[in-house]
Amino acid sequence: MKLNRIYALVLRFFFLFRHSYDRIGDAFYWPTIDLIIWGLTSSYFMTFAPNAPQIMLVILSGLMFWQIVWRAQYEITVNLLEDLWNKNLINIFVSPIKFSEWVVSFIIIGITKAALSFPFTMVVAYLLYKINIVFFGWYFIPIIFLLFMTGWWIGFFVAGLILRFGTQVQTLAWTFAWAIGPFCAMYYPVSILPLWAQKIAVFTPASYVFENAREIINNGYPDPNKFYISFMLNLIYLILSISFFYFSLKKVMKKGLIKVY
Amino acid sequence: MDLKYNIRMNVLKVTNLTKKFSSFTAVNNVSFDLKEGEILGLLGPNGAGKTTTIQMIIGVLTPTKGEVNYFGKNLKNNREEILEKINFSSTYTQLPWLLTVEENLKFISYLYEIKNRNERIKKLAKIFKLEKLLKEQTKDLSSGEITRVNLAKAFINYPKVLLLDEPTASLDPETAEYIRKFLLEERDQFNVSIVWTSHNMAEVEEVCDRVILINNGKIIADNTPDKLAKTIEICHVELNIPDGLKRTIEICQSKKVVYKLEGRYIIIDLKEKEIPVFLRELMDKGVFYDQISIDKPTLNDYFLQAI
Repeated sequence: MKLNRIYALVLRFFFLFRHSYDRIGDAFYWPTIDLIIWGLTSSYFMTFAPNAPQIMLVILSGLMFWQIVWRAQYEITVNLLEDLWNKNLINIFVSPIKFSEWVVSFIIIGITKAALSFPFTMVVAYLLYKINIVFFGWYFIPIIFLLFMTGWWIGFFVAGLILRFGTQVQTLAWTFAWAIGPFCAMYYPVSILPLWAQKIAVFTPASYVFENAREIINNGYPDPNKFYISFMLNLIYLILSISFFYFSLKKVMKKGLIKVY
Repeated sequence: MDLKYNIRMNVLKVTNLTKKFSSFTAVNNVSFDLKEGEILGLLGPNGAGKTTTIQMIIGVLTPTKGEVNYFGKNLKNNREEILEKINFSSTYTQLPWLLTVEENLKFISYLYEIKNRNERIKKLAKIFKLEKLLKEQTKDLSSGEITRVNLAKAFINYPKVLLLDEPTASLDPETAEYIRKFLLEERDQFNVSIVWTSHNMAEVEEVCDRVILINNGKIIADNTPDKLAKTIEICHVELNIPDGLKRTIEICQSKKVVYKLEGRYIIIDLKEKEIPVFLRELMDKGVFYDQISIDKPTLNDYFLQAI
């Protein structure tokens, strides 16, 4: 892998970010709106359940952590779409770039943008509701890493679908992660899901992370097994999704990159 | 074929290249080579298989059968090494339109790991007259300006082989001439080899050392533009005849030659060697003409006859 080539794609993202109000907006505007709406909603809930003071923390921390999943998958799919909309994929693939460098650049772009928007949401949550999630301490590391992994496999899977079926399925870039959302149990415990949904949640790596986040809020410590299960599931899905993305690219190469995009 | 090209090494060798889309064969057993410093024209009507061939040569379309070798190495197995040394420009591809010209060239220069990036971009901006456009967003450029940016992009990595898909299609005549001159100079100075597709036959005749004509996915001719044109024997003789037009028509009809009338002008299709005899006969019959022009066969005539 050549760092310059990875840097080229990351640099292009920064240039685009600088010129696009859409991209700046979605890094800061939507997380703020989400925080305002859900913060007010949880304040309202608290008037009904004064004995559950953690309710706002559970909901807002779930929302902020979900930003990691969202950001990681969104940056993969939307940056791929940008290249399709711009008919730029051909310029990238006539260069000596390797598939692995392309994949790594997507991952770095997601991390970079999350590094901008996640701390921002933390500050906004503190300013608006005095909610401080810094108390997660070192547990931040496994939580954030595992949620990134979830975002990456969702992103590469959707990117593979977009490569295969083109921009006619581009709406998946915005909607697919939300289809998994209910099984991730970001605001509620897995146990309140219907039985059939609980069976799906067992295979959803992010559900273990959100369960553990609530354990930390309630008991002060997580269940390491849950992190382990989440890691293994994420790893399997990540390998499968990157393979799917790779074979989708191969399939497009058989149809012709210029013809398709 | 010119001897100087025969002694040069092959930089590109295409062998039995075939592409099938389901039951349709877009490219059928195409083989050719490109020598160092050679400019090869790839001609053919729309849908002939030119773009499909180019796509396979630049590695963005997997062939059903056949091989593409650059510098003696297989493209499939040495993709990274080969793509560092070649580049591609097409009127029909774009660059990210929100980025400025400078930003586009900069990110591309990183893709090719160019040293002294800023100097290279400055130099290319000067060559392709982009200096005033460097800070403009690509979406605000005219199609001719975008073509120039694409050409600058194609030259960024000092390519040894360039694949240019209609490189002058949306340029004004003056800029197109400038670009053609520049490409010829690059070839002469740095031995750059170029595969050039175009529908502009005069341009291909001017620039290309050799022409490959593709139709229905197959190569139907491979020779120099001159030699291809010379395979057509018919010249167009145009005469302005103030007196004797009727007699001229009678001569044409008696000789069964094709002619076309345009007012007092008559355009007659004749073999080159038949022209003096025909003109002599006009004189003998007292036909008076005050203007004559003889159009020798061109690559365009060959193209029209062959397709």
